[in-house]
Amino acid sequence: MPAMTITAEQPTSEIPLPLSGYRALDLSGPMGVYCGKLMADMGADVIKIEPPGGDPMRKIGPFIDGKPGPGRSLYWLHFNTNKRSVTLDIDTAEGAAALRDLAMASDVLLETGAPGYMDSLGLGYGGLVVDAPGLVYASITPFGQTGPYRDYKASDLVGFAMGGYMYVTGWPHTPPTKLWGSQAYNTASNRAYIAVLLALYHRMATGQGQYIDVSMQEAVAATTEHVNTTYNYTGESAVRCGFRHGGQFVATWKCKDGYASITTNTRKAWDDLRAWMDRDGMAGDLMDEQYNDHFVLRGEHSAHIEALVERWAMTHTRAEITEFGQSNHHPWGPAATADEILENEQLWGRGYLIVAESSDGGPSMVYPGDPYQLTDFEHPVRRTAPAPGEHNDEILGGILGLK
Amino acid sequence: MNHSNQHQQTGLALQGIRVLDFTWIHAGPSATRILSDQGAEVIKVESNNALSVVGGPASATARGLGQRHNWNAGKLSISLNMKTTQGIDIAKRLAAVSDVVAENFSGRVMPSWGLDYQSIRAINPSVIMLSMSGLGRTGPWKDRVSYGQTLQAWSGFTELTGFPDTDPSGPASAYSDAVGGMAGAQAVLLALIHRSRTGRGQWLDVSQFESLTSLLDTLALDMSVNGPAAVSTRTGNRLPHGGGAPHGAYRCQGDDRWVAISVFTDEEWHAFVQVLGNPNWAAAPQFSSGDLRERNADALDACVESWTVERTAEEAMTLLQAAGIAAGIVQSGEDLSRDPQLKERGFFRRVPDHQGEVRIIESAPYKMSRTPGSVTRGAPAFAADMTYVLRELLGMSDDEVDECAIAGAFD
Repeated sequence: MPAMTITAEQPTSEIPLPLSGYRALDLSGPMGVYCGKLMADMGADVIKIEPPGGDPMRKIGPFIDGKPGPGRSLYWLHFNTNKRSVTLDIDTAEGAAALRDLAMASDVLLETGAPGYMDSLGLGYGGLVVDAPGLVYASITPFGQTGPYRDYKASDLVGFAMGGYMYVTGWPHTPPTKLWGSQAYNTASNRAYIAVLLALYHRMATGQGQYIDVSMQEAVAATTEHVNTTYNYTGESAVRCGFRHGGQFVATWKCKDGYASITTNTRKAWDDLRAWMDRDGMAGDLMDEQYNDHFVLRGEHSAHIEALVERWAMTHTRAEITEFGQSNHHPWGPAATADEILENEQLWGRGYLIVAESSDGGPSMVYPGDPYQLTDFEHPVRRTAPAPGEHNDEILGGILGLK
Repeated sequence: MNHSNQHQQTGLALQGIRVLDFTWIHAGPSATRILSDQGAEVIKVESNNALSVVGGPASATARGLGQRHNWNAGKLSISLNMKTTQGIDIAKRLAAVSDVVAENFSGRVMPSWGLDYQSIRAINPSVIMLSMSGLGRTGPWKDRVSYGQTLQAWSGFTELTGFPDTDPSGPASAYSDAVGGMAGAQAVLLALIHRSRTGRGQWLDVSQFESLTSLLDTLALDMSVNGPAAVSTRTGNRLPHGGGAPHGAYRCQGDDRWVAISVFTDEEWHAFVQVLGNPNWAAAPQFSSGDLRERNADALDACVESWTVERTAEEAMTLLQAAGIAAGIVQSGEDLSRDPQLKERGFFRRVPDHQGEVRIIESAPYKMSRTPGSVTRGAPAFAADMTYVLRELLGMSDDEVDECAIAGAFD
């Protein structure tokens, strides 16, 4: 039985969100904070547990007007939408006891401490499961809870490197390259979220919770498309080839005003491209019969073809290439620059991008929506990210006598 | 045996869930592989027309074969010719007895077979339908054509990934498809939870463009509140908003060998410098604070690399990790196959395919104590499960099956 009750969140729409009614304690840092957001955005009552004085993630940039300060971290605002906040010093006996009480009244606990840390506070899965058999307890660590590297440290960069995605990203002449943004962290969160949902579904049938051990390294390694299959099935390691990863079949080209993706992995797409080059008088000998098969793009003539396409692409804009490709049903499109993303009519047209007012008087801003649209549910920023301990009173106050 | 006991004994969270799976290539199959790992019965509907596409049953390259097994392990396969009325009829009968119908065709295909959500719901009221597409099934761009690479371009990932002084590189391979696969699985699981609580199914309109754009971190907020000028463009391996130096990949002994290192706090910096043997350069005023190290990162990187080039990536990682510094080998496919950590945790599974040949696949990157899941076989052979699906599941008679075969329903 829960040792306490917690003020319920008031549903904001008539149809409950898929995770309405579930409560999750989010003790995670950057490796798991996106997982907490995914739960909160889908309706779970996610309570961010912060140390007194506020979570260190509040100091991560960028900041509103470039100036650090309370409520100004866009990193914090982005990753903590729809969460509530409680401040607790779980390193003290009193704080640990309070967290334990909260866990008894929760469905999910998410944490990213080093292996053994939560156990040392008596707050590991083993310490909670007897009294909370239904608890889904998810730990995300750089390398997992077991194995020779379990105590190794990792940042997003190191997770991306050890997971095998970095070695293949970039050009042959550049160092291995990380993806833009914190994709190793986000991937760990995405994978952890899948496991949490599986565990919640299993719990509906059995009443039993379970322990989930997520390794960021494995999360990345399972997300690379071709790194493992190439080595395991050919004996060769995949290498860096910039934006020509599909050879000349699926390639990006520099053009007049930036870069554009031009895919020619069908005979028709290749024919349409060389015919266009020919109309421009820039096809060289590419209309010859020997180039009829689009697999020629992977053959001995590939360098010759590449040089011709490169020269031709520079004479067209991204918009021209996109329009021609799309009107012929080829997946051609422009490489958008950062400032073009917020102008994208498809993202606005589907209600993916939304403008949300701040809950505490800060500026309103554009928030991205959810990774999928479910029938009947709108993505609301029901609440922008909380201030430190904003919900101490309603969650802890009175009941625990901490105030 | 009741439902609850079944779950406890099998260690599979999705035991009893059936997925009719029309998806192909990468994103869709990787979504349903996540479900099949946990015991969902995934029936892959295949066609002779698409045998040799990537991950198809007749994948032409070794890599394609690997992808076939990696994304389709544990699934069943049937062949249906959807150009015949009999083929369509069988698909409808299967949709009627499935919990989930998954597809990633362009928007006109399923309706042309009478298998759009509304039609399936008429015969299976609580069905969950997963429609995965590049750009979503609504909105001004719903009819545009895209591949993973196109979506990476449109989302900004292509332009933003790479070093400022060279062409952007974008993500190697289709990050977009992998992300779409994760999003598709998440959406189905949310819908299964919702169905258990309300009895209602739903249609899931997954735009892989949106799934990918969701991973741009603070970009939307930053652009809208600070304006375009504030958003950095490509920053290579450094963080666009600062926060760490050194932070990058550093060349090591050997051919194309690198170690990734990130140092954030002063405490880490002091430990780092100590591992390097307190070289003179580390005491230079230009590196005396975190801010200065970031500002002088080019000079710093050169100094750091003067240490790493003298060592193997393995040595550099081991020495730095011993001092609590986040450092790791930039691992290639070969490195991953030998990685002692992945080995200890059993990340790579060796499972037999239909001919008993051992295939290597990736396991799910999470360990679950009560529902560990299991993958015991590779991808199915093309149309390997016709008997089970037609006879056992649909209860078709010999005559019925023969009639359909004569009509070309399985061609």
